[in-house]
Amino acid sequence: MPKLVEMKNIYKSFYGVEVLHDINFSIDKGEIHALCGENGAGKSTLMKILSAIYKQDKGEILIDGQPLSKNITPLDIQKFGISMIHQELNLINNLTVSQNIFLTREPTNKFGLVDYKKMNKMSVEIIKELDESIKPDSKVKDLKIAQKQLVEIAKALSFELRVLIMDEPTAVLTSKDTEILFNLMRKLSDEGVAIIYISHRLQEIKQICQKVTVLRDGKFVATKNVSEVSENEIAKLMVGREISRSIASNFKGDENNITLEIKDVNDDFLKNISFKVRKGEILGFYGLIGAGRTEVMEFIFGLRKCKKGEIFINRKEKIIKNPYDAIHANIGFATEDKKETGLVLGRSIKDNINYVYLIKNKGFMLNETKLRKNTEDMIKRLNIHCIGQLQNVINLSGGNQQKVVLAKWLMADSEILILDEPTRGIDVGAREEIYQIINELANEGKTIIIISSDLTEIFNICQRIIVMYDGEIKGEFIGTERTEENIIYHATNVHS
Amino acid sequence: MEQLNQDLVKSNKTNFFKTLWKEYSIVVVFIGIFIACTIITQGKFASLNNIMAILRNISTIGLISMGMTFVLISGGIDLSSGGVLATSGAVLIILQGSGKVPLWIAILACLSVAIGFGFINGIIITKTNLPAFIVTLAIGIMARSIVMFFTKGATITGRTVHEFTNIGNGNLLGIPIPFIIVIIMAILLTILLNKTKYGTYIFAVGGNENAARYTGIKIDKIKILAYMLVGLCVGIAATIEVSRMAAVASATSGNLYEFEAITAAVVGGTSISGGRGKIVGTVVGFLILGIISNMMIMMNISPYLNGAVKGFVIILAVLLQKRERY
Repeated sequence: MPKLVEMKNIYKSFYGVEVLHDINFSIDKGEIHALCGENGAGKSTLMKILSAIYKQDKGEILIDGQPLSKNITPLDIQKFGISMIHQELNLINNLTVSQNIFLTREPTNKFGLVDYKKMNKMSVEIIKELDESIKPDSKVKDLKIAQKQLVEIAKALSFELRVLIMDEPTAVLTSKDTEILFNLMRKLSDEGVAIIYISHRLQEIKQICQKVTVLRDGKFVATKNVSEVSENEIAKLMVGREISRSIASNFKGDENNITLEIKDVNDDFLKNISFKVRKGEILGFYGLIGAGRTEVMEFIFGLRKCKKGEIFINRKEKIIKNPYDAIHANIGFATEDKKETGLVLGRSIKDNINYVYLIKNKGFMLNETKLRKNTEDMIKRLNIHCIGQLQNVINLSGGNQQKVVLAKWLMADSEILILDEPTRGIDVGAREEIYQIINELANEGKTIIIISSDLTEIFNICQRIIVMYDGEIKGEFIGTERTEENIIYHATNVHS
Repeated sequence: MEQLNQDLVKSNKTNFFKTLWKEYSIVVVFIGIFIACTIITQGKFASLNNIMAILRNISTIGLISMGMTFVLISGGIDLSSGGVLATSGAVLIILQGSGKVPLWIAILACLSVAIGFGFINGIIITKTNLPAFIVTLAIGIMARSIVMFFTKGATITGRTVHEFTNIGNGNLLGIPIPFIIVIIMAILLTILLNKTKYGTYIFAVGGNENAARYTGIKIDKIKILAYMLVGLCVGIAATIEVSRMAAVASATSGNLYEFEAITAAVVGGTSISGGRGKIVGTVVGFLILGIISNMMIMMNISPYLNGAVKGFVIILAVLLQKRERY
């Protein structure tokens, strides 16, 4: 008997970077199948290919043994009964529940107007199975997040549902809502619906799934029966064994020269965050998306107000209320999203490199000669490829944009540099260059904190690694403690 | 290698003309319009008298539009200018008409009132996070209402003395004094925009407010200053406007000037969504608007069609600049 869905030898590249390499995946009727892997392993991409949001470069998809046409649209896929519930829900907040469920398929009366009565009635039919407290005519924006998710499921059910893809649905749910969701999933599976469940939470996978497929770096690793593997084994499959041992394991920093100390940061999300960094050290922060790493850095940089928490720089307490204070305390923060928070894309390289320099230096008039020299020096030092200083940064490649961000902070003599995902979206060559620069900066005596979701990266460049999970520091690893297994266990909150 | 070098030189050359056209296309268009107008009117348009009349007429809008350019670059907008012009103008007329204070104090009071309104706009916008569009619209309506209340909706007059009326009507070396003020302000504002930290920051705030915040730029301060700057320009414009007749009409003085000013800035290449703009462009923008009004009169076209032509020019100018973004 053919599988319900079979994906064979799927390949996909974005801008010349291969993100999926020869992936095989299949699912049967009524099966709950977990898809796991680290951030960037290719899970979401694979599922977006299945729901026809992306097209594969090579490979084929079979439904009931029938190959899908290459020109299939997301709407066609929905008509096949395959629905995906995205991490960021696809609902329109200002419309009602039933308007959302029947969007573009509204039932009409004989005048061609929308028949709201009928639509609401049809919605009730679907929703009563899920949560009776959801009214078809309430606005989606007034619902709780768990209810919104149920509306998404109702929308999927309003088509004839055969495969439901859920991308980390529990990431935003309380444990009680998670339980409700799991019961619903079991019920759907009993009715023969196949569910593909993307999650980082290994405990949940053990709890609800029958099979698990692990991807790593865009490659297929294994498909196992969940009953035959332990959480630890899944974690091992996710990390892989061949990851190269670190090249940066020996601490080169100054043991007694603590440049930054964070004490007892607490708020609604962050719990008891304390840590120290030394001069010349490269400290890594690892965790899954939403673990709270960026939030900690935002606190240090004066962008997040916390109920409690102290910052000591060179053993002196500093009150940092905004980025301006942080900059004057010689802290630099190269954010994760260059386009959103790092660069003014419509302005020149020269402007972008000199912003922080100007803030730190007194005076009202610009010293054009100095600014040009600053830019020239940085372009040489960091090897920024550009036509000239006045080129707008929007026209640079991702790697060169990242170098401009680094240059901005170096120009201001930042002693403590926080780099959030410094190589995300950057090709391999530029990535090596960035690592080189980071290493040199540490050797010069700068204090460097790196946030990364890429375990290989953290391993290769950081001497000490702090792991966070759900707003808490779960562990700090150095020396022999610093193993992939240790780190992934703590990042996924598995207690071994 | 030789070929490569030649290609490089060539591409640099085409690049040069490309950037020239990209950055200053509106200047080229302006020169074209100027020549066309001269030919159509058989030279009458380009007569010294006519040119000077145009320059005198566009001075008030010109001043406001240059201040407006700063606010637009910062990502904001100021719709209160007309009401503020009437209010600050009335303050000037009342003080000047009383005969009890020297003229310079009356002018200073007028400027202070206008800058004060800018400060209020800026404070409300930055502290409440309400859209600038709404805040300045409301403040403009309030300003207009207040001035009408205190003057009972009438036109009030000051004393017709030469030292006062000369500001709006006089010439210096054959050039209208209002336009001399415009030139001085244009130079100062160009320096402020291109040669100071403030200018650098205001582009950053309008270009990417988040990135500007993460860079340590004090966004609120930059924005408030921009609204105060347009206030200053409105105050100067008010001084020129009311000095012409030594009078201010509380219901109509400055009416819709804010839209004329925004039009001039936008025609000159300033982006309504922030982050882009230059004073030279705005100057060309208000000159084009002045020429349109002037040509309509010279060609005996109904002044009621003025708006139709301007509307057409706005869409044309913005279309021209849209394809040049970045």
